[in-house]
Amino acid sequence: MAGVKLQTRPMRSRNFWSKIAHMGIYGSTLVSTALVALILLTLLLQSGPAIFEAGHTLHMTEWNPAEGVFGIVPMIVGSFLVMVIALALAVPTGILAAIYIAETRSESVKRMARSSLEILAGIPSIVYGLIGVAFLSIWIADIFNLQTGRLILTAGILLAVMILPTILSLTEDAISNVPDQYKENAHALGLYRYEVIKEAILPQAKADITGAVLLSLGRALGETMAVMLVIGSIDRLPDPIYNVLSSGQTITSKLGREVGESAFGSTHFSVLVFMSLILVALSLLLTIMSQTFLRADKHRV
Amino acid sequence: MSKKLKPLISMSLLGAAVGVLVGCTASDHISVSGSTTVLPAVSKAADSFHMETGKVVIVNAGGSGGGFNQLAEGQTHIGMMSRDITPEEIAQFPDIKFTPIAIGRDAVAPVISSEIYDTGVNSLTLTEIAAIYRGDIDNWKEVGGPDKAIFVIDKESSSGTRQTFMKVVMGNSKAPAKGADLVIGSNNEEQTAITQSDSAIGMLSHAWFNDNVKGIAIEMEDGKLITPTLDMISSGSFPITRDLNIIIRDDITPETQEFVDYLLSERGQSFVSASGYIPVK
Repeated sequence: MAGVKLQTRPMRSRNFWSKIAHMGIYGSTLVSTALVALILLTLLLQSGPAIFEAGHTLHMTEWNPAEGVFGIVPMIVGSFLVMVIALALAVPTGILAAIYIAETRSESVKRMARSSLEILAGIPSIVYGLIGVAFLSIWIADIFNLQTGRLILTAGILLAVMILPTILSLTEDAISNVPDQYKENAHALGLYRYEVIKEAILPQAKADITGAVLLSLGRALGETMAVMLVIGSIDRLPDPIYNVLSSGQTITSKLGREVGESAFGSTHFSVLVFMSLILVALSLLLTIMSQTFLRADKHRV
Repeated sequence: MSKKLKPLISMSLLGAAVGVLVGCTASDHISVSGSTTVLPAVSKAADSFHMETGKVVIVNAGGSGGGFNQLAEGQTHIGMMSRDITPEEIAQFPDIKFTPIAIGRDAVAPVISSEIYDTGVNSLTLTEIAAIYRGDIDNWKEVGGPDKAIFVIDKESSSGTRQTFMKVVMGNSKAPAKGADLVIGSNNEEQTAITQSDSAIGMLSHAWFNDNVKGIAIEMEDGKLITPTLDMISSGSFPITRDLNIIIRDDITPETQEFVDYLLSERGQSFVSASGYIPVK
């Protein structure tokens, strides 16, 4: 009898703690989900004045809060151009380097590459910004013989360096995750090494790599500090529109420059919120897309 | 110091300022934020005030507009503004009474790269400066300099420096500058951008001049040249001047009042002169 009594007591207390833990876990999930909804709701509500009071100026290319003109087209074009440059540079470099790292037989090269990637990923963005202002922008001005190196191109190059670690490490994971039997079969068929990579490994890892690219696109889209310091902050469309050797503005650099300066509740503030809503919507879309790619991959393998 | 190193150092100072900005939200100290023009004087006084009284004053950058907003929203005790409060700003917060207190005077002068200064461009008329910012003049040869495109640096529209400058030059403190090639925020950034370029024009508070960033004289309509020197500014001859203000609310705390009095004391005013501005007392 005594033995049974001893056994029930810890049982009950374990039950109690497990209930607490359950509530804690459930509660935390609820809070995090509610936070997302709350942020979206706040952004939506605060965007109201932007649409009702400044809606007729949003499509313009001129920005002049003093006169109630809030054209956000230059910022959207700027964000787009910067993203395209960053991806154009970082995706090929990242994927090629990832193939090398994943397929090399030298463990020490692998380890070195991985740890330098971690360092690269861990550097705060303000540091990239400082390097961009103090060196990169000056080099670019010298190379193209321009008056300033604070250009859309400079921001794009800086962003490419910043998203490279994400693309590289996720792609490397994707390649390493391709089951050995695919590679062995391909080798057994007598394919050359580059054919094995091209015909057997890359097709298998494609979904994961796409996910990696979309994920880093999200980071490129949201990066503020580094971009703000090197892009020149001119609210003007490049002329012609693909001229990346001109100064510009992205949504994030605009927000970084002006959010502290605009009065809460003003139309100016509301337009800035509206721009951040666009930003959030885009990155949500990117996250969902990358999740879908990653999940689709899991189902298949 | 080499020319390449200077921007790096000023940028790292900027980085440090941003770092400080992130770190402070507690309320057991006096917090001040706003104009980077007023900042050097207030921050020197804050150090000395801390040594003398043991009370902590935290001074952050953020620009005149940001300084006002943070004060109005109750995040800080004192705002620093290098311009007047606009009617729009007051209208945003009808329930709060703001009082600006001038702690010093300053001049905003056009600054140009030392490379252009050395070719003999040492003065411009207000009309010429306005034409440069409007984009009507875009080569230094049109104002007596070398055949080189002018790199026009503008500041964020809420900047006190810009509003003071544009009010005199263009006649409207919010006038758009169609000729601008680059827009920057703080005085540090302006200094860096001018230093990095060999053909730039910008606007800068005269306390920030150095060998690479030269303030030029303004040629008045009667042909007289007014250089942005301390004498000319304190005598009122230099055309582009402004008050350096700190802004307080009527619900001021006793500690904050003590710091305000300190800034206006003889000791406090010595930091205004030490920062290159004209004291008010």
